[in-house]
Amino acid sequence: MADDGENSVDNRATDDSKPEKMFTLKKWNAVAMWSWDVECDICAICRVQVMDSCLRCQAENKRDVLGRQDCVVVWGECNHSFHHCCMSLWVKQNNRCPLCQQEWSIQRMGK
Amino acid sequence: MLRAIGKRDRDIFDEEWPEKRKIVLKLLRQETVSQLEWQDLFYGVHNVCLWDEKGATKIYDGLQQDIVQFIVQAQSLVQAQRGEQALLATYIVEWRKFFTQSNYLPLPFRQLEQSPQVKPPASSSASSSSAGASTSNSAAAAAASSVTAAGAAAGASSSSSSNQASSSSSSTTKASTSSAATTTTGGGGGASTSAGAGSNSATSASNSSKKGPTDDSPVRKLMLDSWNKHIFHDIKDRLQESAMKIVHAERNGDAYDAQLVVGVRESYVNLSSNSEDKLEIYREHFEKAYLKATADFYRLKSAEQQQENGVLAYMKYADAKLREEEVRAKRYLEPSSFNILTCRLVKVLIVDHLNSIIAECPALIRDYETERLNLMFRLMDRVLDGEGVEAMMGDLQRHIKSAGLADMQSASEIITQDSEKYVERLLELFNKFSDLVRNAFNDDPRFLTARDIAFKMVVNDTSVFKMDLPTSIANRGVKYTAPESKCPELLANYCDMLLRRTPLSKRLTSEQIDARLRDVLLVLKYVNNKDVFMRYHKVHLTRRLILGTSADSEKEEDIVEWLREVGMPADYVNRLARMFQDIKVSEDLNTQFRNSISRHDAINIKILNAGAWARCSERVSVSLPIELEDYIPDVEEFYKKKHSGRKLQWYHHMSNGTITFVNNFGRYDLDVTTFQMAVLFAWNQRQHDKISYENLRLATELPDPELRRTLWSLVAFPKIKKQILLMEPTVINSPKDFAENTMFYINQEFAIVKNGKSQRRGKLNLIGRLQLSTERSQQEDNQSIVQLRILRTQEAIIKIMKVRKRMNNAALQAELIDILKNMFLPSKKMIKEQLEWLIEHKYMRRDDDDINMFIYVA
Repeated sequence: MADDGENSVDNRATDDSKPEKMFTLKKWNAVAMWSWDVECDICAICRVQVMDSCLRCQAENKRDVLGRQDCVVVWGECNHSFHHCCMSLWVKQNNRCPLCQQEWSIQRMGK
Repeated sequence: MLRAIGKRDRDIFDEEWPEKRKIVLKLLRQETVSQLEWQDLFYGVHNVCLWDEKGATKIYDGLQQDIVQFIVQAQSLVQAQRGEQALLATYIVEWRKFFTQSNYLPLPFRQLEQSPQVKPPASSSASSSSAGASTSNSAAAAAASSVTAAGAAAGASSSSSSNQASSSSSSTTKASTSSAATTTTGGGGGASTSAGAGSNSATSASNSSKKGPTDDSPVRKLMLDSWNKHIFHDIKDRLQESAMKIVHAERNGDAYDAQLVVGVRESYVNLSSNSEDKLEIYREHFEKAYLKATADFYRLKSAEQQQENGVLAYMKYADAKLREEEVRAKRYLEPSSFNILTCRLVKVLIVDHLNSIIAECPALIRDYETERLNLMFRLMDRVLDGEGVEAMMGDLQRHIKSAGLADMQSASEIITQDSEKYVERLLELFNKFSDLVRNAFNDDPRFLTARDIAFKMVVNDTSVFKMDLPTSIANRGVKYTAPESKCPELLANYCDMLLRRTPLSKRLTSEQIDARLRDVLLVLKYVNNKDVFMRYHKVHLTRRLILGTSADSEKEEDIVEWLREVGMPADYVNRLARMFQDIKVSEDLNTQFRNSISRHDAINIKILNAGAWARCSERVSVSLPIELEDYIPDVEEFYKKKHSGRKLQWYHHMSNGTITFVNNFGRYDLDVTTFQMAVLFAWNQRQHDKISYENLRLATELPDPELRRTLWSLVAFPKIKKQILLMEPTVINSPKDFAENTMFYINQEFAIVKNGKSQRRGKLNLIGRLQLSTERSQQEDNQSIVQLRILRTQEAIIKIMKVRKRMNNAALQAELIDILKNMFLPSKKMIKEQLEWLIEHKYMRRDDDDINMFIYVA
């Protein structure tokens, strides 16, 4: 079925100044997707995609509060990335990257 | 008293009895006995027992003689009657009199109970209590006062006479206490005697609340036994026969005297000498005869009725008779017989005619004869093993299925095209059948289940329309397909029409939309392949959110919660909820962006969480018109400042916009996709040129299928009179027929046509159905459904095996279906394949001894 139900006719437009171009842009609704800039999109600790909340956060059913995602991603100096929640628990036991065994130090954090 | 002591050496029995006997005879004959005589009797009996060791036995023997004599007289009176009715009537009159007396006559002879010779074996040891004594007092009082009244009341039922007694008891309490006092002061043993009497009545009262105070009295037993022996035993068969004849006459509607039957029953119950089981004689004779008479009567009648008036009328007859007999049983039978009688009647009236009644059921259902069906249901529901009800359920199920499918097939031309019509038709059907179940079967759970099963069959039927899913991904080339109902897709489409701004949603009030959405969920409950619904619903929701075409955002969120309530998988519902949150986040971001850079008033951005939205959708590259391209760096820079560690990917196939188109005729606002924009803007530099397909591809850098589709939407947009783009050659029937050298040019005569008139101004939406992913064939789309099912099945099997460790095939399949049923119904074949796959990949193995036993391998 065609969506022609929204077509309406507007006869009241009074703008007479002719633009040079045949087509002019009036409005653009641009769509983009963001994702964490990571090499591996699965957190090696909880085995959940880093784009989703980590397993623990999902179980606790934490809701993202308007854009401030609680379950962000963290990158180590080794360039491996994990859920920040997962990693902060991990380092309490073993301060090494679970993937390469290098000493863990945070390079940057997702925001 | 002194007189008694003075004459103690003489035989006190001989002295007292002749006087007292006269009183006894008067009592037996129900003649008037004065209060003085009544008290005198108490005194006399007491006196004899006190002074003569064998006094009790003597009195007992004397009494027996008199009672037997009296009974023999009564017997001859009864036997003298020729006619059955008269015999019965006379018997009842005599019996009533006698039975009434059996409640009073024993009272003065309480003392005999103390005597070992005549003591009834039943009376057990009991502690004396004041309550017991007072019971005996008031009983004596009642007896004393009603001796005279008893004669008059003999014709009435025994219960009414006892009422009478208790009502008049208060006025004569004084008399009875004085008589009790006389007894106690009677001599040295007086106090203990009175206490004994009290204790005895206390035990009898505690034996059974229904029994009168004289129930255990030996005198009463003597009276009843004698009656039983001398009259009842001889004529009970005749009595019973007569009683049954009366019942028979009553059933035939003739005049009758119900009391006669009641009297016979009472004789049976009261004459039982078995104190353990009072109803023994009654059960073995009267009840048995009654049951037989009833069954015989209706066996004959029911066949006759059915033959004469047909089955439908017979059902009414059976129902009426069952009720009638229940009422009758309350009159004529002891409560313990009710159930037995009902069982017997059900057997004769219903079970024996089960097949012929059930045979009418399909026609009644077909004609929506709710009243008759209800009657049939009530009759069948009485049958214990439920055979009849089951047969009716089967009929209902078959009817719903065939009627539902027939309805769908007859309207197949409309409903396959129009999801609104389809869903509405389906709901109409469901409501009709639900009404039937409510009105005819009182919403009995068994019939609701039958209805649900049938609904499932209708909804999941594939004969009207279907979609073909490949049964397995592995052999892609081979066309094995398992057809599935298209219902979920249509349901999702209907949902979309209700939630989007459409003519339908504009026409309806908010409440009406809510009601319809609820209806959709109701139908969805019966759908097997719910995952298909989820898939389409999510696609529709994505479109609505990206294009901002939701009619009511509150409703959007409501339905997500409703989906959760009806048991949709949580991860699916959560994903929908996340999309809403994400859209809100993105709106905030857009506001910030527009505030930060004032010149970008023509752009709105939606930057969405790829995790929530973009699973499995590919991006399409396009060379954007310079007007759009300019915005990109600004947006990216802005976003980088706000967030870190994120990368952005542009989803131009989702983005869209509005452009103003000016030609010779007028000026129009067109809602277009970004791809359409990219194509149309190619003419901005050369307004009147014709551009070849090849050159458009070079200009836009769109992949071939996307370009074809985009061009097709501009040369052949459905339902508009004049198209934006024209082509050469003019006759091309499908986007596949575009050749490299097909030429396209702008329609300078383009105008929006309304009511047959070309308009100079206007707005037109050319977006149609926003393409969310790259062009994929239906087959690939369906394959991805199957692929997802395979993963879900594997996941569920592992989930189960991880917990159970060991499990046999049947149990595993049952649990698997339970887990998956809210998404889809896994086929046996698929389960088997996935089990094999998991075994092959060492997730689990078969037991060495039992091939049907699976073991989880960690």
